[in-house]
Amino acid sequence: MVSRRTPKIVAHFILFLISLIMIVPLYWVFKTSLTGENLLLYPPSLIPKNPSIFYFVDVYYAIPFARFFFNSAVVSAVVVLFNIVFNSMAAFALRREFPGKKLIILIYLSCMMIPFHATIIPAFLLTKSFGLLNSHFGLAFPLLSTIICIFIFKGSFDAIPTSLIDAARIDGMRNWKMIYKIFLPLSKPAIATNVILPFIWSWNNFLWPLIIIQKQEMQTLPLGLSRFNSLYEQATGPLYAYCLMVVAPILLIFFLSQKNFISSLISGAVKG
Amino acid sequence: MVGTKRHRELFGTYLLLLPSFLIFFLYRIIPLGWNLLLSFQKWQFNRPNLWQGLKNYIAMFQDGVFWQSFYNTILYFLGGSLISIILAIGIALLVNRPIRGRNVYRSIIFMPYPLTAIAIAIIWRWLYNEKVGLINYILRMLGIVDQGVPFLQSFGWALPSVIFTSIWQIVGYFMIIILTGLQSIPDVLYEAGIVDGVSPSQKFAYITLPLIRSSIFICFVVGIINSFTMFDIIYTMTNGGPGNSTEILVTYIYKNAFTFSRMGYASAITLAMFIFLLLLTWLANKLSGGEAGAVHYYG
Repeated sequence: MVSRRTPKIVAHFILFLISLIMIVPLYWVFKTSLTGENLLLYPPSLIPKNPSIFYFVDVYYAIPFARFFFNSAVVSAVVVLFNIVFNSMAAFALRREFPGKKLIILIYLSCMMIPFHATIIPAFLLTKSFGLLNSHFGLAFPLLSTIICIFIFKGSFDAIPTSLIDAARIDGMRNWKMIYKIFLPLSKPAIATNVILPFIWSWNNFLWPLIIIQKQEMQTLPLGLSRFNSLYEQATGPLYAYCLMVVAPILLIFFLSQKNFISSLISGAVKG
Repeated sequence: MVGTKRHRELFGTYLLLLPSFLIFFLYRIIPLGWNLLLSFQKWQFNRPNLWQGLKNYIAMFQDGVFWQSFYNTILYFLGGSLISIILAIGIALLVNRPIRGRNVYRSIIFMPYPLTAIAIAIIWRWLYNEKVGLINYILRMLGIVDQGVPFLQSFGWALPSVIFTSIWQIVGYFMIIILTGLQSIPDVLYEAGIVDGVSPSQKFAYITLPLIRSSIFICFVVGIINSFTMFDIIYTMTNGGPGNSTEILVTYIYKNAFTFSRMGYASAITLAMFIFLLLLTWLANKLSGGEAGAVHYYG
């Protein structure tokens, strides 16, 4: 049993070992992307020998990397933007009392129980009938508003004093202006969550692009990575360089705002 | 005048809800009903679908691969989630102590969680590689094996190997969830325990564990959903193989719908998967006493 009596050195040893298991695969990818060597070289060296960015450049030109990056970036940007707008609108509305409020909340909560994976076939047929296959908007559409993020905004909006809103209403402020001028500026952590969660969901999304994208020039980074992997499985250097470039933006956000990042993902624990 | 103003405000409220509602209606509610409809049909490309009653369901119950995927899904949940949660509790207890560098440990252990699953799957494919994989290299160096183990190509090893990768990715996430539970336990309780002279294991069993129950429940639900939806890792690492030894319901649904064009049949499996998922979540809720999120230490 782990207790306070366990010597600190033992705790450090266990944690160090676990950290090693977490770090080594990522380090290995990093090393291999710089040297291209894999374990065919005996003994494998721990420190990259003759590191170069050759493989990053190689993969950049081997596939339309810039295009894939553009696709991923556009879709993620659209998803994040619409989430902030749509979710804050919904949360603002749910702050009021109106007929049917309970029903709406019940519907939203039930929708949270439907995982996207249980809807893929009709979602594909629907998107096809909209003529949105192979399009940026088709990729973004199902993610434009997310329930958990609405409730995150709602939690933050509910804490804003009613007197402030009454004052604004007396001044004749319109709904959208109230959201934009009062609610959003007072909900910075909720906005951070509404940026981070939808961004990660969209950036890492694989199943949806796999289903609705057939044209190569419309592929997102993870889809392109999967195709690249099946075509050039032996090309370790470029493959690993590609892997790193796909996860780089996420690592960047992670290291820039660790606190926001982790708390956002925790609040997404019940995402559907 | 007052009436019209109130009506205008009501209209405004509904208008504010419209965009998000439309998205959930289009991509959650409609698909659920449509999926039910499709499950009774034979889907045909560019032709109207044929009604065929319960034929898809009968075929499903007679399909060995369906049962294999069903069984594997449970194994992913039991193997992956249970081990991850137990590990996560242990790690969380360690990093909750006032030891130097605990924030660094937390960050490192959490780091794999948000990374793109496809990239992680590709990385682990290489680690597991029979000839040039790091894991086999270490095993040979330590003299545990003479020949490389073809982890992802062997019937016995493929499933545990994929499960291990998913544990590697999610354990840090569970650790943070449990850590938030641990941090909400007031020190007074432990001090009272010390006064009463409880042993460390009693302290864990009677103070810590009951109070992190809701955190453990959250991990369980996340684990259930995760084991039902871990499409990316399996698709990339094994694509369900060898044979169907790593196939889960969601990969089998994908294959039927988009490789074999058996949309109707895939819809029937989707519905079965959805009902099974709801049932498990409901059961987890019941087992936790239906008090997820509620911490009551005065009761």
